[in-house]
Amino acid sequence: MSTYTKEQVKHLVEGKLDWDTTMRMLSMPKDRERFTQYLEVLQSKVDWPDRILLPLGPHLYIVQSAEDQRWIVKCDCGHAFCDHSDNWKLHANIYVRDTEEAMAEVYPNLMAPDTQWQVYREYYCPSCGVMHDIEAPTPWYPVIHDFEPDIETFYEQWLGLPVPAKAA
Amino acid sequence: MQAPNHRVEVMGIDAGGTMTDTFFVRGDGRFVVGKAQSNPGDESFAILESSQDALAHWDRDVDAVYPELVTCVYSGTAMLNRVVQRKGLEVGLIVNRGFEQVHSMGRAIQSYLGYALEDRLHLNTHRYDEPLVPLSRTRGVTERTDVQGEIVIPLREDEVRRATRELVEAGAKAIAICFLQSHKNETSELRARDLCREELARLGVDIPVFASVDYYPQRKESHRMNTTILEAYAAEPSRQTLKKVSERFRKHGAKFDLRVMATHGGTISWKAKELARTIVSGPIGGVIGSKLLGEALGYENIACSDIGGTSFDMALITKGNFAIASDPDMARLVLSLPLVAMDSVGAGAGSFVRLDPYSGAIKLGPDSAGYRVGTCWPDSGLDTVSVTDCHVVLGYLNPENFLGGAIQLDVQRARDHIQAQIAGPMGLSVEDAAAGVIELLDLQLREYLRANISAKGYSATDFICFSYGGAGPVHTYGYTEGVGFKDVIVPAWAAGFSAFGCACADFEYRYDKSVDVALPQLAADADKAAACATLQAAWDELAEKVVEEFVINGFAPQDIILRPGYRMQYMGQLNDLEIDSPVGTAAAAEDWDRIVDAFEDTYARVYASSARSPELGFSVTGAIMRGLVATQKPTLPEDEEAGPIPPAAARIGSRPFYRHKTWIDATVWKMESLLPGNRVRGPAIIESDATTFVVPDGFETLIDKHRLFHLREVK
Repeated sequence: MSTYTKEQVKHLVEGKLDWDTTMRMLSMPKDRERFTQYLEVLQSKVDWPDRILLPLGPHLYIVQSAEDQRWIVKCDCGHAFCDHSDNWKLHANIYVRDTEEAMAEVYPNLMAPDTQWQVYREYYCPSCGVMHDIEAPTPWYPVIHDFEPDIETFYEQWLGLPVPAKAA
Repeated sequence: MQAPNHRVEVMGIDAGGTMTDTFFVRGDGRFVVGKAQSNPGDESFAILESSQDALAHWDRDVDAVYPELVTCVYSGTAMLNRVVQRKGLEVGLIVNRGFEQVHSMGRAIQSYLGYALEDRLHLNTHRYDEPLVPLSRTRGVTERTDVQGEIVIPLREDEVRRATRELVEAGAKAIAICFLQSHKNETSELRARDLCREELARLGVDIPVFASVDYYPQRKESHRMNTTILEAYAAEPSRQTLKKVSERFRKHGAKFDLRVMATHGGTISWKAKELARTIVSGPIGGVIGSKLLGEALGYENIACSDIGGTSFDMALITKGNFAIASDPDMARLVLSLPLVAMDSVGAGAGSFVRLDPYSGAIKLGPDSAGYRVGTCWPDSGLDTVSVTDCHVVLGYLNPENFLGGAIQLDVQRARDHIQAQIAGPMGLSVEDAAAGVIELLDLQLREYLRANISAKGYSATDFICFSYGGAGPVHTYGYTEGVGFKDVIVPAWAAGFSAFGCACADFEYRYDKSVDVALPQLAADADKAAACATLQAAWDELAEKVVEEFVINGFAPQDIILRPGYRMQYMGQLNDLEIDSPVGTAAAAEDWDRIVDAFEDTYARVYASSARSPELGFSVTGAIMRGLVATQKPTLPEDEEAGPIPPAAARIGSRPFYRHKTWIDATVWKMESLLPGNRVRGPAIIESDATTFVVPDGFETLIDKHRLFHLREVK
């Protein structure tokens, strides 16, 4: 079975891993330690004490609060969004591109969608301003709740790890 | 060793990435194999060393032998490596304006060529290699020729001049030109080529210009463009290497003209214009060698199987002929080169063995230990078990005599790794785990072989199986057991079989050109004559090129045997067949009828008579011209039969050998000391420096007068 160093996983997270190794990782069964190594790398990149349970995006995580063990959604910068079961997008700053001019900022002429049919909703961190997500729905569509992970099952049954403590 | 009054006539070279093998054949059919560490800096040096190693068996020296040689054929991986590692010449590319990205896009298929099936299916593994020519050295010029060959936008000549200047400035060391539909009408492309040369002359820059129609006038522009670029990118540097090799031979008194194995199955001179087709040569040698052996022994249908460290290659010879693929892929590039059709699977003797942590199943490859052998070699730096480790643990391979004792293998080290990685987690003994790995590999190869034969509509019972390659004879019994081959043959020179095959190949040039001829089943005679005229015009054009190549090598046109051929299909079907033309020239309606008959006969043989569909009409899709001259080929050794009992001296001893859940003692024989007529019953292991032939219990092998081992199952 293949094993990889923490250094390699760090390069993978940073997008700097050489292609041959990346390709091997992709085509081989995943080694058991990978998720733990991955979390360690992510943890080393943030400067707050809360334990990362699951990444939600390049700068967004579900963490176990160091203060009260609540599971919350948190940004790189330390901004706490909400409880992990809530839709964090409803707590973000939202910019909606729903005019031709706004679309022209991100697309060449005539290449953008008709905003009567499709708009872009961009979600930003209220503290540091990093863009966490974009969705491209029809104008009337409710804010999408992308991902509602079952962390307990994932830890217990997929990873074979003890479920982290959680304040009710 | 033997009577010294025989001249050494033929030399084959297989210059691989790690080892350079040479193969010498004497007038009486005796041969020796030499090995030396490859030297990428100067290949000629490794060839010399390898030759000395080989000739030492006969107490002879290169300075005495090289002048005697009449034929020398080279095959090697240097050009392929140059392409894979992207270390070729800096080429500039001129294409139609608006099509500058076509080369980088590689028909999309280049993002997953060469992948295992699982990786093909997963988009996230797809990746484009760096293009041979970057966008910064690509220029578009205004021009358009449509699919019928009509020029709809004439070439803007000043744009070609400007593109040439810009490419020179961007550092191009060669310029390739490839326009759309140039195979239908070459006018614009040839004009661009001439303009480009004029402009270079004006600038005082001496760099070569390659127009695609001069080399590969074939449809499919990605293929044509890649191949033309390859000619500039990799073939020119390789020509320098071959020149050096040739000069080194001359210094040692050689009088022969060095030839190179080419993808179409013939050999060409290193001075040939189309040198890109020598990109893959080693594996083809085996197929050519099998064909020659088959002709000598009277076998028409042969399944060729070559198992090396990283892959298992197979090819079929049916009715004495191998198939040719016209637009194959190599090194993750689509190309328009005729290639001897082969099927490969990425499982070999050096494949890594791992357990899937979720299913608990054994997984072989797709990567392999390659020259690092396995964990049994302490210096390998490896800690993942390879198939070789399993062989060593089970007594199939002799740890003291691997590559003739060149490296020492550590059985205990392999045992420990198998225990920790495979046997322990599976709850098996080390022996059972290792035997399971071997059985799995043999099963995979056997099913692959069987599927490839039946998928083409044949039955294994009509075939003789040839097994060769360094690791072939260890697995022969395993992947042929129960398939039902008429006979299974392992040549004593299995390890040098590819080099032998190269030496067997004809001195043959082959040129291809796309043509479009379509006629209904019952066409008027005038239409048939017109179709013949189109085909003949293409043949004439190609014949001129073939003759030109031979003239470069000092042959007179009358010494060249020209063999026209064509590719034909039923109109509307997707696959064409390659046919050797039954007519030397095509002009009249009767010629067309014979051309059609030859196609229908072949179609009936390859598929079935009842599948013939003449009512659809016929299309000729390509014209082929092959030209060859007579060359010296190796003769097969012929020895006196010495009876079924092997001489006592051939017996080295015995070794415990594990199969079917028990350890048994296998007799160990020295391959070189066995005599024709000898029968060896399993369990036995027949060893030589370069290869190990395993004959397990339930099998028997007979060595014939040509030093071929016939393996069969006995009850």
